[in-house]
Amino acid sequence: MITFRTNMGDFSIELDFDKAPITAANFLQYARDDFYTGTIFHRVINGFMVQGGGMDSEMNEKASRAPIENEADNGLKNEIGTLAMARTGEPHSASSQFFINVADNGFLNHSGKNMQGWGYAVFGKVVDGMDVIETIKGVKTGYAGHHQDVPVDAIEITETVVSDAYAAL
Amino acid sequence: MSVLFISDLHLSPERPAVTRAFLVFLQTRAIKAEALYVLGDLFEAWIGDDDPTDLALQVQKAFAELASTGVALYVQHGNRDFLLGNRFAANTGAVIIGDETVIEHCGHRALVMHGDSLCTDDIDYQRFRRKSRNPIYKWCLRALPLKRRQKLAADWRAKSMAANSNKASSIMDVNGEAVDRVMSKHGVKTLIHGHTHRPDQHYVANGERIVLGDWDSMGWALEMNSAGYKLQSFPLWETEQ
Repeated sequence: MITFRTNMGDFSIELDFDKAPITAANFLQYARDDFYTGTIFHRVINGFMVQGGGMDSEMNEKASRAPIENEADNGLKNEIGTLAMARTGEPHSASSQFFINVADNGFLNHSGKNMQGWGYAVFGKVVDGMDVIETIKGVKTGYAGHHQDVPVDAIEITETVVSDAYAAL
Repeated sequence: MSVLFISDLHLSPERPAVTRAFLVFLQTRAIKAEALYVLGDLFEAWIGDDDPTDLALQVQKAFAELASTGVALYVQHGNRDFLLGNRFAANTGAVIIGDETVIEHCGHRALVMHGDSLCTDDIDYQRFRRKSRNPIYKWCLRALPLKRRQKLAADWRAKSMAANSNKASSIMDVNGEAVDRVMSKHGVKTLIHGHTHRPDQHYVANGERIVLGDWDSMGWALEMNSAGYKLQSFPLWETEQ
């Protein structure tokens, strides 16, 4: 389990190492490196998802490792409370940024190995503190530079706690 | 409550980012509106309501979900999806409205059109338009086997991409006299249309002409509420990642 402490409360996630081995290992590595501490949820769209894991509170993008292969074809669905990797229009471009689905976003699921159908790789789920995510999704957002849907008051990950079981993996 | 207007999304399998941005728009913005008007060219090509492709099914499902939450959904034909028909309407809960429709919401009255019929200086296009809106032509097209129509649609899409025909510079603008005429005919002070891919708000003899934008690198929507109209553009969800 990985627990993220934020200025809005704590939430914990579990990763699916069986169905999304590459993505889960990639995420765990960022967590172990304490990469996510100091990053914010920089894109919050109520009724859709909350995204973070790549920007600091000044909205500067943190330098990430190389992008990983998209494992969206693993059968996991973008349902409420699941974690998926954010990416650009290129399917295999995810690095550190992730989002938590706050709606059942079926149109983000894998439907074919092409640009249209690759979808977004689900690799874990929130197992504790979903009420914190529910609070985050409702915060007031606005523009920050050319970015829209940015929370007016920054929601920052202040500490990352990797469980002993995950630390031993 | 507000009413939203969009047009010219030109949804196609070749531009998944636009489709996803549209589905996000339905789920997060349209769901809070009283009504959503799609003023033509929702699809880059529509070959008939029996289209079994993922794109066609996905959009119909999303529309049906939106309509089931109580949002009124109105769809107008564009020059690219003129075959949208009764089955599409039944599948989605959308009402297909005529090309010149006067609407009233939030204390405002407006004429909504796709806009292609106003481009009267484009003689060749008007000839095509007359042909494509002819019921016999539409019937013949619908009667072709699905495979044949799918091939036709793929050819249309490839041709329009190669010719850059969705760029504003390739589309003739509306004719001012045609605008004045149609606004006088319906006695309206506001005209809302798409088609030309030149999003803007213009003062005209009868009042105001609002032109919706096409969805490409950005999305566009017009919001109407009791305070008036607001034309907005926004980045596509995926391309901003």
